[in-house]
Amino acid sequence: MSSISLRDIRKSYANGPRVLHGVDLDIGDGEFVVIVGPSGCGKSTLLRLIAGLERCEDGEIVIDGRRANELPPQDRNIAMIFQNYALYPHMSVLENIAFGLELRKVPRKTREARAREVAETLQLTPYLDRKPGALSGGQRQRVAMGRAMARDTSTFLMDEPLSNLDNALRNTMRTEIKTIHQQLGATIVFVTHDQTEALSLADRIAVMKDGHLQQFDTPAAIYDRPVNRFVASFLGTPKMNFAPSDAITGWTGRRGVEVGLRPDTLRLHRERPGAASIEARLTLTEMTGSEVVLHCQTQSGVMSAIAHRGQELPAPGDRIWLEYDAAAAHLFDMQSGARV
Amino acid sequence: MTREKSARALWLINGLTLLAAIIFLSPVLYSIWMSFQTSDAYYAGGVDFTLRNYEVAVGQYNFARYLLNSVIVSGIVTLLGLSFATMAAFAFARFEFRGGNLMFGAVVATLMIPSHITLIPNYLTLARAGMLDSYAGLILPAISSGFAAFFLRQYIRGIPRALDEAAYMDGATPSKVLWRVIVPISKPAIFSMGLQLFIAEWNNYIWPLVAISESDLFTLQIGLARLYRVNPGEDVIDWPLVMAASTITILPVLLGFVLVERHLVRGITMGAVK
Repeated sequence: MSSISLRDIRKSYANGPRVLHGVDLDIGDGEFVVIVGPSGCGKSTLLRLIAGLERCEDGEIVIDGRRANELPPQDRNIAMIFQNYALYPHMSVLENIAFGLELRKVPRKTREARAREVAETLQLTPYLDRKPGALSGGQRQRVAMGRAMARDTSTFLMDEPLSNLDNALRNTMRTEIKTIHQQLGATIVFVTHDQTEALSLADRIAVMKDGHLQQFDTPAAIYDRPVNRFVASFLGTPKMNFAPSDAITGWTGRRGVEVGLRPDTLRLHRERPGAASIEARLTLTEMTGSEVVLHCQTQSGVMSAIAHRGQELPAPGDRIWLEYDAAAAHLFDMQSGARV
Repeated sequence: MTREKSARALWLINGLTLLAAIIFLSPVLYSIWMSFQTSDAYYAGGVDFTLRNYEVAVGQYNFARYLLNSVIVSGIVTLLGLSFATMAAFAFARFEFRGGNLMFGAVVATLMIPSHITLIPNYLTLARAGMLDSYAGLILPAISSGFAAFFLRQYIRGIPRALDEAAYMDGATPSKVLWRVIVPISKPAIFSMGLQLFIAEWNNYIWPLVAISESDLFTLQIGLARLYRVNPGEDVIDWPLVMAASTITILPVLLGFVLVERHLVRGITMGAVK
């Protein structure tokens, strides 16, 4: 069993601003939780507090039902993967993976066997005698993961472990992490600023901004019903389009409200399809593979829409219409940004 | 044309380097050459190869004993000095504690105190403790090096903190982090500082002169100085004998340098960059 509860966590750094303003989070046993948010939102600090690498000035951290505020990291039985991997440069791959077991006085034969087994899973067997300096970025990342996996623990913290990898390797490792989670049934808290990573990996996503938890829910719920304008704009590619309600037919009577329209809910037309549409001028197109992102200038600003490649596309500069589905629109209060 | 120019420049640099090396090495080479001459031949301006000076230095003037004393004292001072400096450096580099900055300031301030100022206080302290004329009396005043603590602290600060944190997450205590992670990574700096401590203690003359009166505890430097006064009635100093004793004195240091040279150069380079 490995659950984590955070109650009203507050944290400031010496002579610095407050970075966490009372965060509550309940992470269940075996759950894959992704903490996501822009740089400086406090997500890594939250992870370090769970790890015990930082002390919170207020609030309570409960791990496996036990208050852990005063426990040093070595007594929390949590494995962590760092953004820069933090591999011991003087140790071989085998020694790096087995170090945690050595510190826990696991007999040499047992720990080496365990390290080899983990290395086999991560396809690191040919590199066991190499030092980290002689490995590629992807291999180092796998060693960092192996070091965590070799430990006898069911709680893993991952601090942007994929951010230093190239796109192809990042996709592969993402799948590997997901597979490992399913195999081990471990509780994973994963920090990232990449929303694609968050949506594809998480059982639940915690969205943070400026030290406040904005929303903690499943990826589908966060995508379909964001609690405020920030969450709506942070998750989804391309970003959600926003326009004042008086610029969109159907909501012109509602004052102080902003309408949010996901680009994938907008349909492209050459002629005005009906009242539920926005007039626009196509400024440029971006091919992303099977889809094309259309950037359009409207009366209320730039909007994005998605078209399929098979579709006949207008040329940049052409007048077009973007049809929207009123049921798929999101409404936000203009002042507070909260969902209406 | 450019290639020719750069080849010429390389020759010039190599030539100048060789010349500088000869200038610096010549006194050492001359003293080694002199140590293999008989006294008569040396003063007569002739050449007469002999090993007798070494036999006399070791057999008659107890230089083997002095060598052993120097090895024991310098070795223990280096080991203890490095251990204390490493632990202090780790604490200053990694932990925030009340009075930490003040204590570090005090350590740095010791670098500005000339060593001779501490001579009398050290003498009085050890005399009261009954430690004069002992190995402890030679070793204890030298095992705390403010410079070593300062140098190693700067080096450790350059090691990513994430490595400590990874070790803590792996289950390490602070002392395990120090000895299993920080020390192996700091090897270049530790070797470099170790050699410096060893040479400083090996060449230490004043303190052993003050603290030791029993000839069995003399170090090489004291023994070497006494060779000048072997025959006070005679005007002529037996320079070939003195040079043989000097060669015995520098050989262990040279050997040590050759052994840790690679680490030393890396250590100095690293210290310069950080």
